[in-house]
Amino acid sequence: MKHTPEMQRVIDRMRPGVLTLHGFLGADRRELEEILDVDDSTVAGLGVTHAELARLLQDVLEQAAAGLGTKVSVADRLRADYREVMGRIPCPWGDGSFQKGEVTLVDDETGETLRFSPLSIHMIAAHGFYDGRGSRFRVEPAALHRMLHTDRGPE
Amino acid sequence: MQLVLKATLIMSGICAVLAVLLLIAERYLANYGTCTIRINAGEKALDVKGGRTLLQSLMDEGIFIPSACGGRGTCAYCKLKITEGGGEVVPTEAPLLTEEELADDVRLSCQVKVRNDLAVVIPEELFLVSEYRGIVERIRDLTHDIKELRIRLIEPETIPFEAGRYIQLETPAYGDNPEAVYRAYSLSSTPNDNRAIELIIRLVPEGICTTWVFTMLKEGDAVVFNGPYGEFGLTDTDREMIWIAGGSGLAPFWGMIRHMREQKIGRKCTFFFGALSKRDLFLTEELRTLEKEMPNFTYIPALSQPTPDDDWDGETGLITEVVDRHTGDLSETECYLCGSGGMIRAAAKMLEEKGAKKEMIFYDEFT
Repeated sequence: MKHTPEMQRVIDRMRPGVLTLHGFLGADRRELEEILDVDDSTVAGLGVTHAELARLLQDVLEQAAAGLGTKVSVADRLRADYREVMGRIPCPWGDGSFQKGEVTLVDDETGETLRFSPLSIHMIAAHGFYDGRGSRFRVEPAALHRMLHTDRGPE
Repeated sequence: MQLVLKATLIMSGICAVLAVLLLIAERYLANYGTCTIRINAGEKALDVKGGRTLLQSLMDEGIFIPSACGGRGTCAYCKLKITEGGGEVVPTEAPLLTEEELADDVRLSCQVKVRNDLAVVIPEELFLVSEYRGIVERIRDLTHDIKELRIRLIEPETIPFEAGRYIQLETPAYGDNPEAVYRAYSLSSTPNDNRAIELIIRLVPEGICTTWVFTMLKEGDAVVFNGPYGEFGLTDTDREMIWIAGGSGLAPFWGMIRHMREQKIGRKCTFFFGALSKRDLFLTEELRTLEKEMPNFTYIPALSQPTPDDDWDGETGLITEVVDRHTGDLSETECYLCGSGGMIRAAAKMLEEKGAKKEMIFYDEFT
């Protein structure tokens, strides 16, 4: 598949070893454009926007960050911790750099887990990108919606 | 069929001609000849072959600008002020520069090509930075996710530095990592021990450098690093100090406290170290020993999430809460911080609320 020069630059930066050890696409063999299209359809089908989902993750990040590494309760059954590490990581689209770190959000009852970073939140909001399947930071839009976009979402 | 063949041949011919033209253009048109880089208003001038990046050109001349990403325009450490000849800001660097930096002619030196004469401003301390080659003498597990490396120097044989500074360790190409990259780590050794360096490194998930350190690096391996960098370290005063660290942020303080003992520096110092549970504490016995040897030094470890098995009767709570409980007015106290950005921001806010002066709160920029 032919990519635009801009998209090719983004894809190149997502490859393993460029910005992160294993890259952003995980084991996903689909083209980036297809990944974006499918997730876009999923999110539209959920009746929300990428920006809304990103805002839910941002709320969790802010609550977890206040815990300085400890697990904090972000809603009924949901606990999160934020492990921040030194340094910043740029967005593969080249529109900003973000603190390195990862939030782990766990539903204590079901064990369902979401793992994301400050960069994930930006990429979801600005580019509708949730990482490729198999990537450490892949956020399934449906899982995100199920865990957070309910009455028991972040307070 | 013949038509398709003919069209293919014509297209291939055009492509071949264009490729040759590009090669000729690169050889002759993109030959920028010798360019002069004037440094610090002409204090120094370097004649370099044009066409390479400013970062590479300076490195070739033995001037090391901090850079963690190997010149890929991603870490934004290699910022320099270019007062003349920098050309237009390119799209790859613009997102990493603030409006103030853009207005002040600050650029990413890895994204600026030397195509003509340039004038740049380079901080004096960077002229003391060198590249070092060494051998890993010892790797020691400090916790489940923190290791200590001791690297014996081969070339040059010694490194001059002040306690608290940092270096940049090169991670060579390996596995999916196609090129060498550099990451910054605080020196945890003392200036007296200048034939080797010690580093305390915590495993970062997906981290290119730390994964290499934890899974591939072995005792006896050759390594390359450059440094020293930074301004973090003891000031030349007698003021009381509090130190606050978490995780591998203990590193510079481990060098600083041993330096104080070696140099018989008797400043009053309280070291607060925050960890989640007991398994995240390290060098505890060594610090307790120093406490006994140094009457003005107090070590206060605190756990924010002790487990029942920890049987912990020490301080508990977030490190900021523990420091708050143990300190009063901090208007005459120097505060030194090392750890995650979140911890530093929270601690700095709390310290200022207790009277600490902004100019007396110290931390490294790479946090």
